[in-house]
Amino acid sequence: MSKLTTLSRRNFIRVSVMAGGGLLVACGGGSSSSNNNTGTPPNNGGEPTSPAEAFQVGEFMRISTDNKITILVGAAEIGQGALTAIPMIVAEELDADWSQVSGELSPVAANFNNPYFQNLLQFTVASSAIRGYFEGQRSVGAAVRQMLVSAAAKRWGVDASSLRTESSYVIDDIGGRRASYGELSSEAAQERVPSNPSLKNPADYRIIGSSPQRLDAAAKTDGSFQYGIDVDIPGMLTAVIARPPRFNGQALNVDDNAALAVPGVRGVYTILGGVAVVADDFWAADKGRKALQIQWNELLAGRTDSDTQRNAYNFRLNLPGVPIRSDGLVLLAQTLASETVSADYYFPFMAHAAMEPLNVVVDYDGSSAEIWTGTQSATLDKIFAGLILGLLPNQITFHAMPAGGGFGRRGNPLADYVRDACGVAKQLRQPVKVVWTREDDMKGGYYRPAAAVRVSASIDSANNISAWTHRSVTQDVTALLYAENLLDSLADFTLPPLKELTDFETGMPYKIDNVLMDAHLTVNLNMPALWMRSVNKFSDVFAQETFIDELALKVNKNPYNFRRDLLSEKPRHRAVLDAVADAANWGFPSSGRSQGIAVMGHWNSFVAQVVEVSVSANRELTVHRVVSAVDCGTAVNPDLVIAQVESAVVFALSSILFGEILLEDGVVQQSNFDDYPVLRMHQTPAIETVIVNSGNPVGGVGELGVPCVGPALANAIFGAIGERIRELPLTRSNFKIA
Amino acid sequence: MAELSFTLNGQTQALTIDSGTPLLWVLREQLAMTGTKFGCGMGLCGACTVHLDGQPIRSCSYPAEFVNGKNITTIEGLAPTEDTLHPVQQAWLEMSVPQCGYCQSGQIMSAVALLKANSSPSDDDIDKAMSGNICRCGTYPRIRKAIHRAAELSVQYYQPATTEVGAES
Repeated sequence: MSKLTTLSRRNFIRVSVMAGGGLLVACGGGSSSSNNNTGTPPNNGGEPTSPAEAFQVGEFMRISTDNKITILVGAAEIGQGALTAIPMIVAEELDADWSQVSGELSPVAANFNNPYFQNLLQFTVASSAIRGYFEGQRSVGAAVRQMLVSAAAKRWGVDASSLRTESSYVIDDIGGRRASYGELSSEAAQERVPSNPSLKNPADYRIIGSSPQRLDAAAKTDGSFQYGIDVDIPGMLTAVIARPPRFNGQALNVDDNAALAVPGVRGVYTILGGVAVVADDFWAADKGRKALQIQWNELLAGRTDSDTQRNAYNFRLNLPGVPIRSDGLVLLAQTLASETVSADYYFPFMAHAAMEPLNVVVDYDGSSAEIWTGTQSATLDKIFAGLILGLLPNQITFHAMPAGGGFGRRGNPLADYVRDACGVAKQLRQPVKVVWTREDDMKGGYYRPAAAVRVSASIDSANNISAWTHRSVTQDVTALLYAENLLDSLADFTLPPLKELTDFETGMPYKIDNVLMDAHLTVNLNMPALWMRSVNKFSDVFAQETFIDELALKVNKNPYNFRRDLLSEKPRHRAVLDAVADAANWGFPSSGRSQGIAVMGHWNSFVAQVVEVSVSANRELTVHRVVSAVDCGTAVNPDLVIAQVESAVVFALSSILFGEILLEDGVVQQSNFDDYPVLRMHQTPAIETVIVNSGNPVGGVGELGVPCVGPALANAIFGAIGERIRELPLTRSNFKIA
Repeated sequence: MAELSFTLNGQTQALTIDSGTPLLWVLREQLAMTGTKFGCGMGLCGACTVHLDGQPIRSCSYPAEFVNGKNITTIEGLAPTEDTLHPVQQAWLEMSVPQCGYCQSGQIMSAVALLKANSSPSDDDIDKAMSGNICRCGTYPRIRKAIHRAAELSVQYYQPATTEVGAES
């Protein structure tokens, strides 16, 4: 590792000459090298490396002699555009010719860990891809640019400060000459890696802030883009798994005679999570599964019942929870108030229902494994695979594939679907693709947890809000990890602090002196729950932003002005609120329509939204228009930001209008898009999005557009028919969705 | 088992299949045409949309033996040549439609069928034709724009040239 030079505390970069010329930039470091692998980079020529060195150093960037640049991305590509935006950040500081830049998903290795999670793991949740990788990627781009300049200065015998860079060329204006990065790459590889490269002034950005087309757009319009479900390797079989009707049930007796008689079925294997039918192809596997006779042991299985749980949650709303925020003296303020009002809300379980059903390919031969899967949590997936297969990290090559949607479901720290697949592969010892059907996915758990919320506000004699309380009862989707110490056996690995993962606060922004927010985080080992796009903000901000609307009307104020007054110390909230009011022509809806508004800040970003609806006499609800104003500090690619907000609006509307997984005595009642409807084209409103650039550091945008849609919509419904919405989805309140 | 012979993207295919196997799995697994996607298995989401003699069908719930002797076009067979795009694909790129991209093959096949039947669709026409295709990333507004754009492009594309368009015309 002689050329390894410290770039910053957490990033080590290593530069070498590629075989046949060109420059290879690799990153080493992170907290641990034990879960690295080589990732078999296709062009890993470079200088001769010992196996140990290749094992510790993951490739990061390639500049080839023909001036093409490939940047490896450690974040997951789940549709949000990380595979475009992260290369843009590197290319900016590198001063690269964007038309010659491509992106590739990185191998699973510590050097690609997400700085947002303290460089502990590759984890693409919590809107953290750009927030996490931004600074480090800039430094790497800047360092390599500086090395290219130094190499050119040496070649020409001039001072480096007299040179400039543009579009993958080093340019000597005085000498009237230029050299491409590709030409210089081998020489640049000999340069010392600068430890503290100077970064651009944001005013000089040429790529950041522009909206080039996604690098994966073409392959996503001609059918050639490869998802995990498209992986095909020689000798591969296909498996489907019969899972217990109630969570954590165990197969007791399996009669597989009929299944094995189905042509094409090769075997039936009982694993921890169910019974796998392995066949030559999907159809045979699925037929085989239908022919299985399984008796389940359900003594310890989950018996969650939606109605019972709702009653229990409502009861717990009366009991104090764990404090999340406590400002001033709420009890005193309540005592002195002229009035205290409150409202209770309820939100059911919801399924992520990403378009690409879960799937994993495992090729395990007893001494090593290769795994392909679309995931937001590659590091933990790989660790669990190693535990189940009894392999060391360097015996597993893990290919994190781009995914057909994630929304949190593919970021399961318990790696459920990878564990299942490894359980099958361990017995089979032949390449196998485990495919989930839509029904498997819908019934397979790891839902957004149900939640009950109670908010209250006290109003003093001057009509000011003197106290605010907010209590949530929901399931902690991460407590399981810590409660069970599941990861104790994993040497050399620590999870980020619970606070980082739960991220539970709502950022209630209003100027209220006395605030108490608390929560009951229940643990239910037999009811798998998980984060879903915007997590608890979906429910907590719904309650907060509908209740604030009620208060506004109670004191005879316009909901926009009321919020604005309470945000006098929150300039970024106020800016998006003003921007959306302006863009939506607040106060002047089209005839027959009603408007609602909501605002919030989280993920270092801010959003305000106005929803315009109409409701017919027979409760037919039409959502006409959703206008959003967002401040994500710095928009790396504004069109990707807008696309994420559009996406979030549609995603939120699906949840608000229809989203509900119901359990009866532990059995999930929904199974496919017929009984779990999601928004379709004809139900989609006009969507307009304004970016309010504050020039602040980058914030997250993947989830930002979700939480305010619900309350803005509910507030608009109140404006239309004078009815308050206290539970979701709206189909529960007998609205018909036009 | 059943013998199956049909035309896929202009090429004759003959193979043996298990009776009742949906066309989707024959395309994806036996013929390695993976651009057509599995989404729901019940014809509810449209990710598996292909054309049967120019008409959109849901291949996940269409028994493969029913396509005997017929023409099937998948996303892979849409572009007239390897280095040109179908106008609908072109419009998809211009409007930066795809996000995760998983549903887009099906969306594009539905859009092509719509534009064939209706060269200048209104928003309502688009709603009717496209509401069988689900996109969880919420690209619907861009799909709508792209279909309008494709209608414009198709005028230029279909009128001046007299060459065959796609494999299914």
